[in-house]
Amino acid sequence: MAVFCNSDELHHVMDMLWRRIKDDPGMSGKLVEAKLIVQFRYRDPEGTLTIDCSDGNEMKIIVGPTRLKPVIEMSMKADIAHEFWLGKVNVPMAIISGKIVSRGPTPKALALLPVIRPAYTLYPQVLQDAGKKSA
Amino acid sequence: MLPFTFYSPTKIVFGEDTAYGVGDILKELGGSRPFVVSDANLVAAGVLRAVLESLKEAGLGDPVIFDQVPPDSDLDCVRSASALARQHGCDCIVAVGGGSVIDTGKAANISLVLDGDIRDFEGMHAVPRALAPLVVLPTTAGTGSEVSAVAMVKNKDEHTKLAFGSYYLFPSVAVLDPKLLMSLPPKLTAATGMDALTHAIECFCATTTNPASDALCLESMRMIFQDLCRATMHGDDLDARSSTLIASTMAGIAFTNGGVGIVHALAHTVGARYDTHHGVTNAIFLPYGMIFNMAACAHRFAFAFRSLCAALRAAPEPVGHWFAGASQHDSQAAEQLIEAVRQLHRACRLPTRLRDIGVPALSQDEISELAVVASTDSAIMFNVREASVEDLEYILKGAW
Ligand SMILES: NC(=O)c1ccc[n+]([C@@H]2O[C@H](COP(=O)([O-])OP(=O)(O)OC[C@H]3O[C@@H](n4cnc5c(N)ncnc54)[C@H](O)[C@@H]3O)[C@@H](O)[C@H]2O)c1
Ligand SMILES: [Fe+2]
Repeated sequence: MAVFCNSDELHHVMDMLWRRIKDDPGMSGKLVEAKLIVQFRYRDPEGTLTIDCSDGNEMKIIVGPTRLKPVIEMSMKADIAHEFWLGKVNVPMAIISGKIVSRGPTPKALALLPVIRPAYTLYPQVLQDAGKKSA
Repeated sequence: MLPFTFYSPTKIVFGEDTAYGVGDILKELGGSRPFVVSDANLVAAGVLRAVLESLKEAGLGDPVIFDQVPPDSDLDCVRSASALARQHGCDCIVAVGGGSVIDTGKAANISLVLDGDIRDFEGMHAVPRALAPLVVLPTTAGTGSEVSAVAMVKNKDEHTKLAFGSYYLFPSVAVLDPKLLMSLPPKLTAATGMDALTHAIECFCATTTNPASDALCLESMRMIFQDLCRATMHGDDLDARSSTLIASTMAGIAFTNGGVGIVHALAHTVGARYDTHHGVTNAIFLPYGMIFNMAACAHRFAFAFRSLCAALRAAPEPVGHWFAGASQHDSQAAEQLIEAVRQLHRACRLPTRLRDIGVPALSQDEISELAVVASTDSAIMFNVREASVEDLEYILKGAW
C-alpha cells in the first residue's frame, strides 16, 4: 500500500518538510547559493513540488503545478521520496536503475545531497506533526 | 547484500571480419535506410570499407554518411548529424569509430526519433521511449560505449560534459571486429586501454557495484594488464587487439551497472576544459584517484591484486614481474596494485602529468573552479569515498 493516501496528504507533508528546511539557515543558505530550480514530480499519488532558489536570495516552495521551468526535474514514486527522507535510498543506485528519473544537469542537484542530509532527522517529526506514522 | 539491477541488452558479436555482417544485422533489425556515423580519420584510413561493402551486399547501399565527428562529440555535431539523418529519412544508425563517434550516434538517435532539442533529454532515464536500431562497431578498445546506456556530449560554450543516460541508449548490437583496430596508433591504443582499465578499477570499488559487475571488472583488468602493452607495441597482433577489445566491452557492461568514480569526474572536467583525450587524462588521474580512495577501499584493491597475481604470475615479462606476489596486508597489496598501474602506464609510454598533455600552469582560482565542476560531475556520485572540493583541488595540483 502506498505511504501517502492522496495528493493532498503528499503535498502537505512535503511542503511542511521543505518549510522546515527553509527555516534552517545551515541548509537553506547553501541551497539558495546554488541558484537552482529543482522540481520533484511524484506519482502514486500524483504530486509536484518546486523549489525555486533562482534569485540566489530566497527559497520559494511551490506546491502543485507551476509554469516555472525547472533546471532539474526529478521524477519518482511518492514512496521512494518517503524512503529517501528516511535516509533509506541509495540515490546513485536509484538513478542507475531508473527508480529516480532525472532531467537536466542532475549532478548539480546531487552535489547538494550532503547539504540536505540533516533533513533526514526532521522528517519523522514532520510525519508525526502531519498525523502520519513514520515507518 | 545490497539490492541491485543488472541490465545489459546489447547483443555482442565478436570475431575477425564480423564487420562484413553489419548489413544482415541491420536488415534483421528492420532497418532499410542506414545513417552511418564516423569521423574523417577513419574514412581516410579505410576503416569503413568492410561496413560499406556489407551494406551494399545486403541491398542497403547508398547510405547517408556523416563523417564530421570531432574527437569528443559536442552538441553542434550531434545537432548536425541528426538533422542530416532526418533530412534523408534514415531509420537506423551504424556508428563506426571510437567513443566520440559512438556517443554521437547515440545522441543523434535521440533527436532523430524524438521531437525537441537534444538538451531536453539530458539526465538519467529522461528519454521516454525506444529509439531507432543502432549498431555500433568500436574502433578503439576503451570507452565501452558500445554496451553502455550513456552518451557523453561536450557543451563547448560552457566547457562541460553533458551526460545522457537511458536504457534506450543501449546499442542494439555491438560488433567487435578486432581488425578495425589495426590502424589505431600506439598512443591512442594505450590511452584507450587505460580508459578501460579505469572503468574496471573504478567500478570494482564504486558504492554501486554488484557481484556481476565485479566479475567482469576482474577479468577485464586481467586481460588489459596482460595484453595492453602488446597491443600498443604490435598493433597488428590480432590476439592482443581481440583481448583488449573484449576487455573494454566487459568493463563497459560492468560500469554501466556499477558506476565509475572520481577519476572519471576529474577526466571529464579537464577534458572538457582543455580538450585533452579522455583515455590519457584518465590514465594520469588513475593512480591519484586510487591513492585517494585507498582509505575507503584498500581491501578491494588488495582483493583485485591478489586475483591478478594468481592469474598473471606466470605471464611473460614484464607483466609476470608486476604480479609476482601479493602482500598479506591489505594496504600493502593495494599499493602494489597502484604500482602495477604505474608500471603499465610507463610500459605503454603514456604521459604521466597534466602539464605533458597541454594543460597550462593553473592559478589557484582556476584549480578551484575545476574542482567545483568535478564535484558536480555525474561520475563522482558513485565514488567510494566522498570527495570535497579541497580533495579534488589537491589531486589536480598533484597531477599537474
Ligand atoms: N558513452 C560512454 O559510455 C563513454 C565511456 C567512456 C568514454 N566516453 C567518451 O568517449 C570519448 C573518447 O573516445 P575514444 O577514446 O574512443 O576516442 P575518440 O573516439 O575520441 O577517438 C580519438 C581519435 O582516434 C582516432 N581513431 C579511432 N579509431 C581509430 C582507428 N581504428 N584507427 C585510426 N584512428 C582511430 C579518431 O579518429 C580520433 O581522432 C570521450 O568523449 C569520452 O567522454 C564515453
Ligand atoms: Fe571512460
